[in-house]
Amino acid sequence: MFRTIMIAGLFMGVGAGTAFAHVSLESQEAPVDSTYKAVFRVPHGCDGKATTAVRIKIPEGVIDVKPMPKAGWKLETVKGKYAKAYSLWGETISEGVTEVNWNGGNLPDEFYDEFVLRARLTGDLPAGETLRFPVVQECEGGGTARWIEIPAAGQDEDAVEHPAPGLKLLPKK
Amino acid sequence: MLQQAPSRFSLTFSEPVSPLVLTLVRPDGTPERLTSFRSDGQTLDIDNPQPLGIGTHVLSWRVISADGHPVGGSLLFSVGAVSAAPATGEVVDPWLHRAIWMAKISLYLGLFLGVGGAFALSWLAGEGRGGDRFVVTMLFAGLIAAPLSLGLQGLDALGAPFEQFAQMIVWQTAFATSFVWTALIAAIALGLGLLALVLPRVDAKPFAAVALIAAGAALAASGHASAAAPQWLTRPMVFLHGVGIAFWAGALTPLAVTLRRQAPGAEIFLHRFSAAIVPVVAVLVIAGTVLAVIQVETFSALVDTDYGQLLLAKLALVIGLFTLAATNRWVLTRPAEAGQTAARHRLVRSIAVEAVIVIVIFGIAAGWRFTPPPRALAIAAAEPVSTHMMTLQAMADLTVAPGRVGTVSANIMLMTGDFGALDAKEVTLVLSRPEAGIEPLKRIAIKPGDGTWRVDDLVIPFAGRWTVRLDILVSDFEMVKLEGAIDIRL
Repeated sequence: MFRTIMIAGLFMGVGAGTAFAHVSLESQEAPVDSTYKAVFRVPHGCDGKATTAVRIKIPEGVIDVKPMPKAGWKLETVKGKYAKAYSLWGETISEGVTEVNWNGGNLPDEFYDEFVLRARLTGDLPAGETLRFPVVQECEGGGTARWIEIPAAGQDEDAVEHPAPGLKLLPKK
Repeated sequence: MLQQAPSRFSLTFSEPVSPLVLTLVRPDGTPERLTSFRSDGQTLDIDNPQPLGIGTHVLSWRVISADGHPVGGSLLFSVGAVSAAPATGEVVDPWLHRAIWMAKISLYLGLFLGVGGAFALSWLAGEGRGGDRFVVTMLFAGLIAAPLSLGLQGLDALGAPFEQFAQMIVWQTAFATSFVWTALIAAIALGLGLLALVLPRVDAKPFAAVALIAAGAALAASGHASAAAPQWLTRPMVFLHGVGIAFWAGALTPLAVTLRRQAPGAEIFLHRFSAAIVPVVAVLVIAGTVLAVIQVETFSALVDTDYGQLLLAKLALVIGLFTLAATNRWVLTRPAEAGQTAARHRLVRSIAVEAVIVIVIFGIAAGWRFTPPPRALAIAAAEPVSTHMMTLQAMADLTVAPGRVGTVSANIMLMTGDFGALDAKEVTLVLSRPEAGIEPLKRIAIKPGDGTWRVDDLVIPFAGRWTVRLDILVSDFEMVKLEGAIDIRL
């Protein structure tokens, strides 16, 4: 019994050691020309401070964005023109949500939460490449963590300190 | 960044220019001189020496503008992929340095052995004298070396290759350096020395005296030591040092030859020389010591710097020389003057060894041409170092002042890839030395309000090549990273 507790304690220690986990997507592969549910996992605050806002930049080629409201958080979106027009269910769409912003909440450093949106990955997106969703995490006391770095082609994800969450694009089904 | 190697490079200047040196540094750091180009005044079209490899290249150029000023710069471009920018150290032609060194030694031979010899023959020698032919040879060596040195100086100042020796601009540049005075006064001294040998003994004396003074003046006119502060002290000291050497070293060969030939009046020559040499050497040593103290500054610099090491080598030879000279003066001179043949033979041999040591010392002294003195190194170490970094989106000029280990300030100028203003939200400077296992030093820059970014009180712990990275937050979601390298001096 005592030994089991000891081992459990050790595992917790390891868990604490990887507290610098990145903000990431739950499902990291999706085919182009499909509807995708993006779940952003926020494992910790910024330098121990509670998270008060999560802002997500929608990359070009991702349209028809619908974020999921969250209890205790205010949900805002920024709309803008796309670089080009896309067709969706026979309609031409040239503008829409370019940024999603959950704010006014409070997620302590020791807790975990997820932020969800649903969007259409257009067929124009290049299959085989990684699509990046830059995330800015704002915290109490003005601290910020910017998950916006984009590893160079072929570079390891861990080569940068704050990689933007990536989604591997698969060929159209 | 280019997908394919360009067929040619085109540089456009705001004024008409003529190219001097064009160098392409490949990603692996090998430089290549570009010689195929066309110029129509303001635009310079340079043929690309195909093929270029993948990676970042540096096109370094040095041109002469219409007003005669050499201007240099370099341009980075990448073929296929960006790699670490190759180091673009000055491409020094070792043969140019060897030629400068040889010319300098020849000039010393002319001024010290030639002019000094002419002085000894006119003032110290008695009835019969020897060594005229040697002295004349030395004077001619000096006369050839003086203009040659000047031209080489011009080449070196411009970083131009040998082929351009005859070019007008090389000589214009040479004439703009302080060395022109050394070459000019040296030529006068050498000419007067020749005159003193040709003229009858009585008329020759004033010419020989002026020649000796001019030799000292020529040395005081340029060089590291003369350029050091305080000038009122260093220039006279260089002058006295030079005159002293010429008097001493110049007399050696004529004296040895005269003694060996048993020429009439050889005793008088020896007597006059030995009477004068002690005060002359005293002045020589005092002047040399003062100069060494000013130039080297600290004892550690004697060992740590090239300049100091050359000085140590020279001092060792000088001590050997003094030992010989003292033996000659206090042991051999009196019996030799009295006419003892054995003593004379020993004296002649000893003087010959002295003369060889003197020539080696000239070689060392000429080597100082390439080693800045510790005094100047200390000043140079305080100079800032800069680097230019660029990607397609952004460019930055980073200046670290002073460019050495310790507490420094970094100044950052940002531009967009097409030279527009770049309004960043935040700039972070990251310094690292991955190969030395040093964790990145990370500092957020502040905006002093003059359009630049600054990091003050940055402490750089080690000398050497540091990898620098600028994390430029262009907008909330967009960060541009620039990477480069900077060489921090000790």
